[in-house]
Amino acid sequence: MASELKKEIDSALQNNILRGALERFSQAYPVARDKAYQGLDFEELRNKVQEVKTYAADHIDEMIDQFEKNATARGAKVFRAANAKEANDYVRKLAKEKNVKKVVKSKSMASEEIMLNEALREDGAEVQETDLGEFIIALAGHTPSHMVLPAIHLTKEQVADLFTNYTSEKNDPIIAKLVGTAREVMRQKFIEADLGISGANIAVAETGTLIMLTNEGNGRLTSTIPSTQVFIVGIEKFVPKFKDASYILKTLPRNGTGQNITTYVSMYTGVNEAYLPDGTKGPKDIHIIILDNGRREILQDEKFKQMFNCVRCAACLNVCPAFQLVGGHVYGGHAYTGGIGTLLTAFLTSEDTAQKVQNLCLQCGSCTEVCAGKLDIPGMILELRNRYGEKTGLPFTQKFALDVVANRRLFHSMLRIAAVAQKPLTKGTEYIRHLPLFLSGFTEGRSLPAIAKKPFRDIFPKIKQDVPSPKGTIAIYSGCLLDFVYPKIGESVVAALNEVGYKVVFPENQSCCGAPANYMGDGENYLKSAILNIHGLEAEKVDYVVSACPTCTLALKEYKQLFNDNPEMLKKAEELDAKVFDFSKLITMLGGLEKKGDDTPLKVTYHDSCHLRRKLGVYREPRKLLSDLPGVNFIEMDESNRCCGFAGSYSIKFPEISGPILERKLKNIFKTEADVVAVDCPGCLMQIAGGLEHRNSNIKVKHTAELLFDRRNV
Amino acid sequence: MNINELYEKFKEKFEANNGECYRVGRIAEISELLINILSSKNCKNISLYESPLSRTAGLVTELIGAGLEVHTDDLLHNTKTDDVGITEVNWGIAELGTLVQIAPEVDNRLCSTLVPIHVALLKTENLIPDLDSMLDVIDNLPQIPGFVGFITGPSRSSDIERILEIGVHGPKQVIAILVDE
Repeated sequence: MASELKKEIDSALQNNILRGALERFSQAYPVARDKAYQGLDFEELRNKVQEVKTYAADHIDEMIDQFEKNATARGAKVFRAANAKEANDYVRKLAKEKNVKKVVKSKSMASEEIMLNEALREDGAEVQETDLGEFIIALAGHTPSHMVLPAIHLTKEQVADLFTNYTSEKNDPIIAKLVGTAREVMRQKFIEADLGISGANIAVAETGTLIMLTNEGNGRLTSTIPSTQVFIVGIEKFVPKFKDASYILKTLPRNGTGQNITTYVSMYTGVNEAYLPDGTKGPKDIHIIILDNGRREILQDEKFKQMFNCVRCAACLNVCPAFQLVGGHVYGGHAYTGGIGTLLTAFLTSEDTAQKVQNLCLQCGSCTEVCAGKLDIPGMILELRNRYGEKTGLPFTQKFALDVVANRRLFHSMLRIAAVAQKPLTKGTEYIRHLPLFLSGFTEGRSLPAIAKKPFRDIFPKIKQDVPSPKGTIAIYSGCLLDFVYPKIGESVVAALNEVGYKVVFPENQSCCGAPANYMGDGENYLKSAILNIHGLEAEKVDYVVSACPTCTLALKEYKQLFNDNPEMLKKAEELDAKVFDFSKLITMLGGLEKKGDDTPLKVTYHDSCHLRRKLGVYREPRKLLSDLPGVNFIEMDESNRCCGFAGSYSIKFPEISGPILERKLKNIFKTEADVVAVDCPGCLMQIAGGLEHRNSNIKVKHTAELLFDRRNV
Repeated sequence: MNINELYEKFKEKFEANNGECYRVGRIAEISELLINILSSKNCKNISLYESPLSRTAGLVTELIGAGLEVHTDDLLHNTKTDDVGITEVNWGIAELGTLVQIAPEVDNRLCSTLVPIHVALLKTENLIPDLDSMLDVIDNLPQIPGFVGFITGPSRSSDIERILEIGVHGPKQVIAILVDE
């Protein structure tokens, strides 16, 4: 990973203004969004968005033909631009023909993508961005730090200085007055402009209508005063029917800014009236550029086609724990930022940039919960990561580590050696507080657990399983953390399953689930792990497979995606998928546990693991199991489903991002005043317990299975 | 919802979006209300885009009679400097507090966009309950008009420090006068 990205991250993290603004926004946004959706069924709405946009994507030629026919019949001129150059050349030629001197623009990300401003300026035209945020960053010479709030990284004092410079009049840092200055400056620009350029949020094929959503009124003025107007519309903006716009009108403002509707929704169909250069009124000259510029490539790629369902609301940025820390500049593109921005950058602007910034994704899935188009953004980023991994290979140390992990015998013997070799670092405790040299990133802001003296696989044969007439057999899949760091969780899982009447077996040939390889873009080692485990677990011989690590569970369930051209393996993988469950889910399915045990008061809070909650849909089960414990006072923490920052190797690659994410989690934990934090993922356990230990906190972190065991088996 | 409920809903939402909302029974009452509002805001110059309601109400004569300067033409020039623009809008969406105008005519748009204060006249009977019903109405017109504008309160921005400011490039105040007759 390029060190430039690290530098960008550092400078963003040191920008307190940006950090503060983003953090406040990240807290206010979910509240405003929830309020805006009151009385509406978001799931139903986004299913409709997905349905109409997918239809349009599947019938793209028909959409464009229909739109062109209808818009042309109403007097607009439609031009299909295959790439940035064709689009820019069209506008440049038009500007020359019309002798255009002054251009006003309202926000259009497509025009930023093709760098239209630069092209027009080369020809000597004055191009004015009229959106307040865009105007500010243009004065500052910055690129946007957010797709909807481009100047979120600047303070009113900085804006006042920029305006003072620009107007040569003293501007005070009072927001209302600054907005007033922008209004006065822009009015003159609108009035003098001879060409208006804007984008569109929706293009309706059956009517040739373009729909634009704005708040400031610059969009309306841009399209009212100049006698010539250019709309730049990406081919992903289509919906088939006029009424289909409804779903986007309902989700885009709510998702973008928490508004029920934007101040202005403007619908343009063909030409309307304008004041012509000679002062008379007549039909406005309207040009609509339908832009491809790499979009067809997205459409032809089965894995990425769903990007056409995006409505550009930027909700994915607003909830992304990484974006909330570093903001948009780190994403390097000049137009698109955040999760969806990474994908758009890959196809539309710069593959090199995308290859770097895709690393910023934690794979926590927060974005998928709020996405108006129901896009699987983390899934697509992972696919990018794998493709880049295949193309350019992983750095040597990463590849070496993953090769070792994929080699069961080698990995296990190395861990056994490490259990002995770590002694100088643990200083007799269960934690490693500091690692030397280049490994110090591991222990920045958190302690690492020591490797267990005896792995779970060695303990398992000695566990007494007292199940007189078993209802069936369950194979336990331990996963690396449980096996080598937290064997006690494994023992607790076995005890609980015994109690509900099942005998547990430990298939000896199981190996690392391959998730680390998968999340680092090493498809080859992921496949190796899949094959090893499908054979090793022998799902056909048992009733269920249990795992107490949701990331492992998910990996085991997803192996089937790797064997589309191997029917025999596919069948086995599907059987594994059907039989594997995470601990809390399986125990609940098997009837739950009898209420018994220690009833001394205990305050317990719960942290949702990203994969358990968002990928496996399990969150009620552990809460019920914990609340049912005698003596337990269950307290919800704020943002319980927000990532803890572990994310596997992410916390090693980006300790500077993982650290503050953990910090926010710890703050939410401290607020509950709980005695114990329960988690269902050993990775989260390691991260949160490490953070608490580093701060000398007495709060304990326990896996749900372990807490159940400790409280019930007294 | 009956007309009173629709009106109450519309008023609640329109005001929640920083609009001002009034209602009169008869067309003849518009001018008196309007003159009161304009004088309380110290407005002197008005750009008026004539419409059936403004003509029936005789607004030009009434406003001039009250000592105001009224422009009905050369609006590209006049809306740059006038205090107020008056237009009639076609519908209102109750659940959103949104005014809906069919405005392919440039003067109609100038009077509702370039001026600092926009006064919108609207027949109460043209209140529509919700967004979907509104889209149905537009969709069922013989053709979609060249320009349809939804306006929900005055223009706004949160682009500086995420603080909401009212009145950016579009009007700073939007006033709706609903007429039952």
